Amino acid sequence: MIQVQNVNHTFSIGKKGKEKKVPVLKGLNFEVEKGEIVAIVGKSGSGKSTLLHTIAGFMSPEQGSITVNGQETAYLNETERAKFRLNNFGFIFQNFQLMPGLTAFENVELPLKLKGVSSKKRKASVNQLLMKVGLAEVADHYPNELSGGQQQRVSIARALITNPPILFADEPTGSLDSETEQDILLLIQDLNQSLGVTFVMITHDEEVASIAHRKFRMHDGELVKGDAGYVI
Amino acid sequence: MLFKDQVDFVRQHIKKNKLRVFMTVLAATMGCAFLIVLASIGFGIQDTMRKEILEDQAITEVEVYTNGGEELDISEIGAVEHVNAIVQRTSMDAMAVSQIENRSLEGNMLLTNFAEEEKSNLKLSEGRMPKKDNEIVVGYQFAENLLTDAERKEMEQSTEEDAKPIGGYKESLIGKKVSMSLQSYESEDAFSETWDFTIVGVTEKPAKDWFVDTNMLLDESWKGKFQEVYEANVEGENTDLFYSSTKIYTSSLEHVKSVTEELKEMGYSVYSVSEQLEQLDVFFMAFKIGLIFVGTIAVLISSIGIFNTMTMAVTERTREIGVMKAIGASPKLIQRLFLMESAWIGIIGTVLAVIISYAVSFLANCILPMVVGAALDEDEFQDLSITFSLIPWQLVVIASVISIGVAMISGWRPARKATKIDVIQALRQEL
Repeated sequence: MIQVQNVNHTFSIGKKGKEKKVPVLKGLNFEVEKGEIVAIVGKSGSGKSTLLHTIAGFMSPEQGSITVNGQETAYLNETERAKFRLNNFGFIFQNFQLMPGLTAFENVELPLKLKGVSSKKRKASVNQLLMKVGLAEVADHYPNELSGGQQQRVSIARALITNPPILFADEPTGSLDSETEQDILLLIQDLNQSLGVTFVMITHDEEVASIAHRKFRMHDGELVKGDAGYVI
Repeated sequence: MLFKDQVDFVRQHIKKNKLRVFMTVLAATMGCAFLIVLASIGFGIQDTMRKEILEDQAITEVEVYTNGGEELDISEIGAVEHVNAIVQRTSMDAMAVSQIENRSLEGNMLLTNFAEEEKSNLKLSEGRMPKKDNEIVVGYQFAENLLTDAERKEMEQSTEEDAKPIGGYKESLIGKKVSMSLQSYESEDAFSETWDFTIVGVTEKPAKDWFVDTNMLLDESWKGKFQEVYEANVEGENTDLFYSSTKIYTSSLEHVKSVTEELKEMGYSVYSVSEQLEQLDVFFMAFKIGLIFVGTIAVLISSIGIFNTMTMAVTERTREIGVMKAIGASPKLIQRLFLMESAWIGIIGTVLAVIISYAVSFLANCILPMVVGAALDEDEFQDLSITFSLIPWQLVVIASVISIGVAMISGWRPARKATKIDVIQALRQEL
């Protein structure tokens, strides 16, 4: 489903003219299969977020190839990447990234609006999904009226509303207490099993990574050899 | 994204910042209203001057003169294409003394061809055009200047400068018999010969308030008889006894230019109101462009407000724009949403400005004549139909295009900035 081949990327740090090149991704190679939950774990600064941003198309790698569902995505232009994300990816962020001026219902509805779905169809889909994630009661609440767990559920519902084959989760439980964390992890597992959605998770928490089918450990921009999940 | 959803999206954001958007709309309104009101002065003055010119002369009228004083070749002029009527009015170097009952009037008589007058669309306030030789048309103020000797004496004693006729003939003149005799300007008595005419028509009130029309319009066939009588009563040579003025009426306004040019080619001196209007229009075109230019500066100043508002909106919504882009909003859509917001400010500002401008224009036309009249101590000024401000639809269109265009241009750069927002940086922003 996702093929990452020989991906390299460097950041320029420092003042103009005195920039220093820092390699953040060093020749990465791995694949993610359909229906898998894959966790990319590592310490802060190991390059795991940069890897997720590269696969998700928020940035282009300097070298290498990223293929998603047979489509080379690394070098699409911005408009093409936006369209590709809308049709293929869902995103769950650590701090939820909900629109503060929109209700839970409207936040979940947003990707469907971007896709140009009619109001009637949107209403049916959003209500159904909010029910599935247990938020039907708070559909008309604004994000600041919801608990952290509820906000993350809204975020998950927004990621799922377009039925994307792949969901990216960047520290999905990073802002939640341990009890709510368990709820969210169970929900992710449930969605993976019931809908067959592929999850690519970034986390530094081994407990969160434990729900993954495979783990890739990153260190200093490289995948650590010898790890159970490491695949060439 | 459906257009309706885009509009909803913009509306939601505007609602969130009501006060800021209101102030920006206010600035846009003031700028656009200033532009419209300022330019409307140019349109108003032009309209007043056009009316002033057209009051003197019909738009299809062309005055023709010979350069050397010789006779006009009427048949030659008549052959020119699109000439509808040739009205040649001949005055006589003698007074026409008219008498009805015990009232008299020393006026002027004009000999003309009534068939041509009818074709030139001579308007009558009452009655009809003459059909017989002894039927005549008199001027609008003919009746009120028909005075008895006592009334005339009283009027002569009046000290007021603009004394209006005291008395005058109060009944309708239609069907009344008038007896007319000629009198030389040098003598104090009228000639003994008199002619009786029947008044069948009265001309329309002159457009100019100060113009007093006491003329008698007679058929041109009387010219020979009047000449005979004059020569019998006045000794010496009477070479310049009659003098004529010739006016040509074209079939429509668009033919005035071609007729004028053809007559000029024939060697005649020509004057038409359309030539004067053309010069006036050229002058006012430049004048109005100048006013619109000055007004546009006000719109440009207000656009700084729109630019600031939109830049603030983009800066405040950086994280939201980042999320939108992350979940699949294209840069074009982001740009369009911000452009729609600035266009909305421009459209609302323009609509309000148009309404306010019409109100200001209406009030200016009502109040300014009174204010100026009071300041100059001239009561008559208030009665004059001066248009201080006029807003034609063309001005509304020009101002709307400028105002909405400037609003969109000032929103363009912030909108472009929104499309360039880096998703990763935006998502890292603190909530």
